[in-house]
Amino acid sequence: MAGNQLIDGYLAGLARRLPADAVDELADGLTETYLRYRSGGLEPDPAARAAIAEFGDADLVLTAFVRQAPGRRAAWALLFGGPVVGVCWAATLIVDRAWTWPVPRWLAPAIGVTLLVAVAMLVLAATGRRSYRRTQLAAGAGLVVIGLDGAILAAMAFIAPPFVWPLALAVPASLARLALTARVMPRLLRD
Amino acid sequence: MESGRSLKPQAQALKGHLDVLLLATLAEGPRHGYAVKEALREGSGGRFDLPTGTVYPALHRLEDAGLIAGTWSVLDGRRRRTYRLTAAGRRRLTDDRANWRDFATAVTMLLEGSPWPATS
Repeated sequence: MAGNQLIDGYLAGLARRLPADAVDELADGLTETYLRYRSGGLEPDPAARAAIAEFGDADLVLTAFVRQAPGRRAAWALLFGGPVVGVCWAATLIVDRAWTWPVPRWLAPAIGVTLLVAVAMLVLAATGRRSYRRTQLAAGAGLVVIGLDGAILAAMAFIAPPFVWPLALAVPASLARLALTARVMPRLLRD
Repeated sequence: MESGRSLKPQAQALKGHLDVLLLATLAEGPRHGYAVKEALREGSGGRFDLPTGTVYPALHRLEDAGLIAGTWSVLDGRRRRTYRLTAAGRRRLTDDRANWRDFATAVTMLLEGSPWPATS
């Protein structure tokens, strides 16, 4: 920290709303800016005010971080891809008369509720403008999506229903989503 | 700083080119976030003077895309993240430079009414 109350207050405000690594990086840049103004002859408080003005107000910086957050981008990708995968599986289950399968009655509503929760989390993560924490919901939603794709693929292997043509689309679609989601998960969990 | 000609009010216009401009600031070697912002400002004669705090998330996005790589160090007790171009970032910069030259040439010729250069 620069040892100036204005700078420290500005960073403390961001620290409540952004990941620690991002705040450390901002602190370094802001301190560098402050020191440059100080070496240019400004007194501490005017130098701090000039540095903060050059950095952008806290809301502007927060909005920029939220807009480019990995969770937000992942949430949009999953929301766009979800209907495609969903339609493939819906077609498979209908053509295959899934309601005749030997599975517990609670399973379908449980999957439906889990899916709705995941979609709600993704919508929150994708649409937040001023809350970085909201974008971090994408990590939880991603885990749910991986779980659902894994579960339905395992169920297909276990039940081994008669082959129907939509299955040839649904399985690759789920596998692709599984692989892509698993690829971004480390980044989302680290964020 | 040429504040009158600064593009702050036209940040949207710069947005589509920000990635390649940030990559270009790293072409000479690694820089930390503030140095990237300063290189952007100085390299454009003060025209591209973004709020410093908004440069960091753009750098993070480029890092997520594998175009730059960041490493932490400690300087005067502060953690500092320094970025360098990756091989993919260098390729992207080369491609974007070539595309920009073509685009700029075409627009200049149209606006100034110059004849189209012979291609053979």
